[in-house]
Amino acid sequence: MKLVIPLGTLMLALLSAPVVNAAVIYAGQERAAAVCSQCHGIIKPSADSVFPSLAGRDVVYLKAALVQYRDKTRQSELMNAIAGSLSDNDIANVAAYYATLKP
Amino acid sequence: MKIITKLLCPSVIACCVALLLPLAVQATTDDTQKTHKLYEENCASCHASDLGGFIAPALNAETLKGRSATSLRSLIMTGSFDTLMPPFYGRLTDDDIRGLVSYLKATPKQANPAWTIEDIKASIKVYVKDETTLPTKPTYQIDDINNIIGVAARGKYGRGLGSKAVFINSVTHKIIGEVATGTAAHIIDFDPANPRWAYVKNDTAEIFKVDLYSMQIVRSVKTGFNGPSLGVSRDGKYIMAGSYVPHNAVILDAATLEPLKTFELEGIDPDGKMVSSDSGMIIGTPFADIFAIALENAGQVWVVDLKEGFPVTKIENVGRHLHDAFLSHGGSKLMVASYVDSIVTAIDLKERKIIKKLEAGCVSHVGGGSVVEVDGRTLGFGTNFGDCDKMVVSVWDLDKMEVVKQVPVLGGTESPAAHANAPYVAVDIISKDRRARAVQLIDKKTLEVVKTLEVGGHAYFPEYSADGKFLYISAGYSGDQVVVYDAVTLAKVASIPLESPAGLFSHGRVRYMTRGLSPDDLAKRDGELKGAK
Repeated sequence: MKLVIPLGTLMLALLSAPVVNAAVIYAGQERAAAVCSQCHGIIKPSADSVFPSLAGRDVVYLKAALVQYRDKTRQSELMNAIAGSLSDNDIANVAAYYATLKP
Repeated sequence: MKIITKLLCPSVIACCVALLLPLAVQATTDDTQKTHKLYEENCASCHASDLGGFIAPALNAETLKGRSATSLRSLIMTGSFDTLMPPFYGRLTDDDIRGLVSYLKATPKQANPAWTIEDIKASIKVYVKDETTLPTKPTYQIDDINNIIGVAARGKYGRGLGSKAVFINSVTHKIIGEVATGTAAHIIDFDPANPRWAYVKNDTAEIFKVDLYSMQIVRSVKTGFNGPSLGVSRDGKYIMAGSYVPHNAVILDAATLEPLKTFELEGIDPDGKMVSSDSGMIIGTPFADIFAIALENAGQVWVVDLKEGFPVTKIENVGRHLHDAFLSHGGSKLMVASYVDSIVTAIDLKERKIIKKLEAGCVSHVGGGSVVEVDGRTLGFGTNFGDCDKMVVSVWDLDKMEVVKQVPVLGGTESPAAHANAPYVAVDIISKDRRARAVQLIDKKTLEVVKTLEVGGHAYFPEYSADGKFLYISAGYSGDQVVVYDAVTLAKVASIPLESPAGLFSHGRVRYMTRGLSPDDLAKRDGELKGAK
């Protein structure tokens, strides 16, 4: 019996691997709508604002920037507070989502 | 005595302080003026010039009592999620934000400022002097001018580059023109008699007369400080606008925008108190040469005859805190929403009296309303904010004036859309969480919710194209697009990027009066009315 559970879990994980990717983007979309879009917009920020556009940016860069803001190795009162609310998964998801968008 | 004491104390203190510290006082006054100017330039289009609130909450010493300065400062910096409040980080300096917070926490709601008929007259701007130089037909390809859908684009900050009225061809789903409105465009109304004119009102009560053939503003006028209401008479000769600040309304010559008469909005409310009142909806009707205007706080509807002197018939006790309304029965019946009583009051515009008060969910807000004719019945659809627990869309039989059904929906709703040729009545869910991304569709026949669309953003103000083939929805707030669906299959067919789009206004409304009615029907009724004359 003990063997069956890990095996089943493993199989499930293998089977659902391609689906996980899609789920990441979807979760990123949810988080972006709730957390990032207020300032950065989805496709582009307001023409009247100072915030940079995130759509189509490099996924590695976006992830690194968010991690730095969260760890406060990159200083911004606003971004330190916002990124502070994001988990590792959130950061990966949000970065993946914005990277897929066409600016 | 009390009044005198109140008035005396601050002035005595001010005098003493002035004697002791003239320079310091001078500085404070300058600062206060500077901060108020900052407020006017960044906040007042939503929160109102008198600090009393408009489409956003009141910000003054009373309403902000007990709120921490730190939390207010960060709210201004980051904006408020799931609302229209944008992030002011980078637009205002930290010192300005701190200054605004202290100013608002210390300042009471200001007195109702004056904006007289002379002020209105002096505010007229003429952009096209000779209107005979304008083109005689549209300068772009369009089969029928009724295919135009106007979008009130707010712009993220309620002002600036993103604030404009945008006009879309609802057959091609392409933008055909736009006009900048300075502050957020709020309402777009079309001339029922001459297809070329549109009137756009923004959140700082300026009205723009727009030539749809050349897609440009020909004139503008400022009718007050804040206030959304606007109506056009059936002959296209007059427009009427009403304000929250100050408490007045004005009838203008639609051609020149010259003010003809102003009205002080005050009256005895349903509780017997004499009150000064915000202007609620203003509506022209194909039924007669009149305007109807709701006095929000006075709970009255005034019917203004468009003849010499513009005489007023007052209908009292309509409901507590009125807001918007829609027409039915050839425009002879007016359904007026009351926030506080959660009712819709049916008014007979012919007899100028109340027909009946109908139950309407919770904090009734009907938007433009919808009326459909199904199986021999005339059904009205009314949305409501649903702030209490009753989250329903009300359906009334407008012939018998009775409630047919209250259809359960996901949350509070703001505006229903229907079309004679489309099977569903669309309602926008506006509850302040992720539900706000949804629009639900109610089957006209079964009166059940049959589908929920995940539009994104803060999805609101659904509107059908004039032919009923497409359903337009604003993905507002940070959604930043207008999304178009096939009215039958509900498949997404187009997306039009726009900054914080809000109200959608089909030119077809001039043909079917209230969304959902058949234009042929109105034409037939028009014919009968004219024949009766």
